[in-house]
Amino acid sequence: MFRRISLCLTIAAVVLIVACAAPAPTSAPPPPATSAPPAVSATQPSAAAPTQPSTVVPTKPPEPTKAPTVSKVGGTLNIVEISDPDTLDLQQTTQTTSGNITGRIYEKLVYQDLDKSYKGLLAESWTVSPDNTVITFKLRQGVVFSDGSPFNAEAVKFTYERLKRIGTKASIYPAFQNVAKMETPDAYTFVMTLKEPAAPFLHDLVANAAGILSPSAVKAANDDVHRRPVGTGPYKLKEWKVGQELILERNELHKEFRVYYENKGASYIQEIRIKIIPELATQLAALEAGELDRISLRPQDIAKYEKDPRFKTYDSYATGNVYLAFDCAKPPFDNPKVRQALSYPVNKDEIVQVVLEGKIGRRACCPIAESIQGYDPKLKEYELNYNPAKAKQMLDELGYKPGPDGNRQTPDGKPFAPALYTTTSETFGKVATLLQAQYRAVGINVQIKPMESAALNAFTPTRQHDLFMNSYNWNEPDMFTVFLSCERLQSGNRAQYCNQDLEKLIVAGRSEMDQTKRMKIYFDAQKFVMEQAVWQPLYNTITKFVVSAKVKDVKQDAEGDTLFHDAYIAK
Amino acid sequence: MARYIARRLFYSIFVIFGVSVIVFLTLQLVPGDPAIALVGENASPQVIAQIRTELGLDQPLPVQYWRWLERFLHGSLGKSIRTHRDVITEILDRLPYTMVLALSAVFLSTTLGILMGVFAAINRGRLGDYLTMGFAIVGLSVPGFWIALLMIMFFALYLRLLPVMGAASWQNLIMPAIALSLHSAAQKARVTRASMLEVLGQDYVRTARAKGLSERTTLFRHALKNALIPVTTMIGLQFGHLMGGAVIMEQIFAWPGIGRLALQSVQGRDFPVIQGTVLFAAVIFLLSNLVVDIVYASLDPRIRYS
Repeated sequence: MFRRISLCLTIAAVVLIVACAAPAPTSAPPPPATSAPPAVSATQPSAAAPTQPSTVVPTKPPEPTKAPTVSKVGGTLNIVEISDPDTLDLQQTTQTTSGNITGRIYEKLVYQDLDKSYKGLLAESWTVSPDNTVITFKLRQGVVFSDGSPFNAEAVKFTYERLKRIGTKASIYPAFQNVAKMETPDAYTFVMTLKEPAAPFLHDLVANAAGILSPSAVKAANDDVHRRPVGTGPYKLKEWKVGQELILERNELHKEFRVYYENKGASYIQEIRIKIIPELATQLAALEAGELDRISLRPQDIAKYEKDPRFKTYDSYATGNVYLAFDCAKPPFDNPKVRQALSYPVNKDEIVQVVLEGKIGRRACCPIAESIQGYDPKLKEYELNYNPAKAKQMLDELGYKPGPDGNRQTPDGKPFAPALYTTTSETFGKVATLLQAQYRAVGINVQIKPMESAALNAFTPTRQHDLFMNSYNWNEPDMFTVFLSCERLQSGNRAQYCNQDLEKLIVAGRSEMDQTKRMKIYFDAQKFVMEQAVWQPLYNTITKFVVSAKVKDVKQDAEGDTLFHDAYIAK
Repeated sequence: MARYIARRLFYSIFVIFGVSVIVFLTLQLVPGDPAIALVGENASPQVIAQIRTELGLDQPLPVQYWRWLERFLHGSLGKSIRTHRDVITEILDRLPYTMVLALSAVFLSTTLGILMGVFAAINRGRLGDYLTMGFAIVGLSVPGFWIALLMIMFFALYLRLLPVMGAASWQNLIMPAIALSLHSAAQKARVTRASMLEVLGQDYVRTARAKGLSERTTLFRHALKNALIPVTTMIGLQFGHLMGGAVIMEQIFAWPGIGRLALQSVQGRDFPVIQGTVLFAAVIFLLSNLVVDIVYASLDPRIRYS
């Protein structure tokens, strides 16, 4: 009896002691690094006027005003990813999480400015030969990697030769198969000769996989840079606790060349901690507890955080649309008129208002998303807008008349119940349900078939689907090659659409180097796809980021992603 | 006893072998290509085909299995397709965390469960019994993840006593361990109660009381030991199960254990890691069952193995 009670009491006491003794871990920033403050000039106290022993009243110089040297350097920014990166060897991964992190450690030759034009990052400038096959990069001087090794043409050549050796695992390898030779005539000039002109090439050089490696660091690591990245970027990897967090620390040697940053040197924020939290609810709890400084919000939380003075919200636009595609290889969807008839029942405004609450998406008209180069609002006149009456009329004309139960039937009397395949995402589930209702309003009984992502990707080449809904992500007008060309029927071309006229336009767009002509080609390509109703683009996803208000001077890039190079943590 | 253990270990080899074949075959049935998972769905078909060749996925199945077996017999579980690290390294990185969580959950659930069960058995029919068993029913029925989220809200956000997630310090262990142990504690409580009641009705307990032994001695030295045999089985099963990874709790609390590794590898179609984690879980399960059987022998002298 005694022993039992005392055992219980001991356990209770232990629990209480544990609970009370556990100090709430604060996300206290480490003490600010005592490194050179940014160029905030402190006025030196001017030499005091020499005291004069005479009776002449000395004219006092104005009181020296000493500006407080507030160093912005310091602090920790806590951000989150839902899983570990698979590797930090940027040439061996296509994972977004990995790219988000290597993007802070490595830099590329070029970058995209806020107006989407390409500017030089590690390259000061470049020239293209008249036949568009030779690109000569003039590299910046005085740039070093975070381990002190110099950045020069040899480093660039080493990097891209390694990429070619690694081959298909590198996401931009196909672009490099087009590179005939690479030369370094002097230490700061790098020349690439292409086999054929390729307009998307600059876009490939901006990709995460195109970051420049340090030859000495790679050799010292025996080519294993999975966990030991060394780059010229604003941060270097301090520690990686697998499954828990990655800690990046400020690279004091970094020089910043992007024109949209005011801070031209090393970053202010001393440390970036990337915490790995797979569950969204836990991320939200961590934000509330102060353990995270930035997360993306679910629609139901947006209103609350927009009004919360502890945070600021930022909109970021996906480089791609959510779209509805028809299986154009499977009758009756091989008939453009059927596809058009099935495009009219879609009410995009309703989808944006009801499912996305008007907040996490904006209506999309065209194959190329508004945030991507090549978008043209003039294409809206070819959009197949919500028109249920016209849909009914066309369906009747095509022989899809309502049967005895009210649902439409095929011309040969069988029930017409197209299957809509999509992923298991919660949002897509809601969109699909709404689409189902919109189709039911014109008498079509759509079946929703959610599938796990990898399984869905393997499924579409089998051409068993009728309708397909997913999003795409490709920040270049040549998304046509990846999603609408004949050569990708086994992968990204979910609509299974292969048309020689469109194919000619796609090939032309890839090799046209004149910007104006190139944009005209993509205008024609989009018009073609819209008139043929291959896709019905639905909406462009908006991600709302909420950032703790103690992070000041956060900027946004062309797509609205948060940028932290000018940012600092308020003390 | 030693011969018994040796025999059990010998049979385990066949079990492991069988598990590896079954996992291997099942993975082939899963739709989705590791090559596409690796280079992304937007890659061109030529790239995908090349990756498949590099990974050896275009070989016939027996050849693929044989290659895996060869590596296994040389002590390697292969390399992760995604991270390029040895599968063993990936597992060992997470093993300590899973171990700590599993042991804590087992310890908590056993202590709590046994105490509750004994208390209920002693107070059979009275308020204490109903309260304890009521609590047990709740623990069994309520979904663990809901309790977990409630605990986060209450202890981490409202009271600010504990951290929300991660595995940075021992405070991080408290909530996941409790959340994991509740269900099992409830089960053990019920089993302990039933078992205790049965034992308490036995003659030798009456004899012990008649001899004049204190109630405490009767209960704990004579009755409980025999009542614990079914609970021992449960401990073994629970430990084996948790060492395979408490996937849901690890997900919610962002605990870097083997469960998360297994889930990630399934989503990424990382075949070597999937096979490695399943085999690892199978081995642990076999070993913990063996230990449980040995503990039986010490608990119940009538049980003797040859």
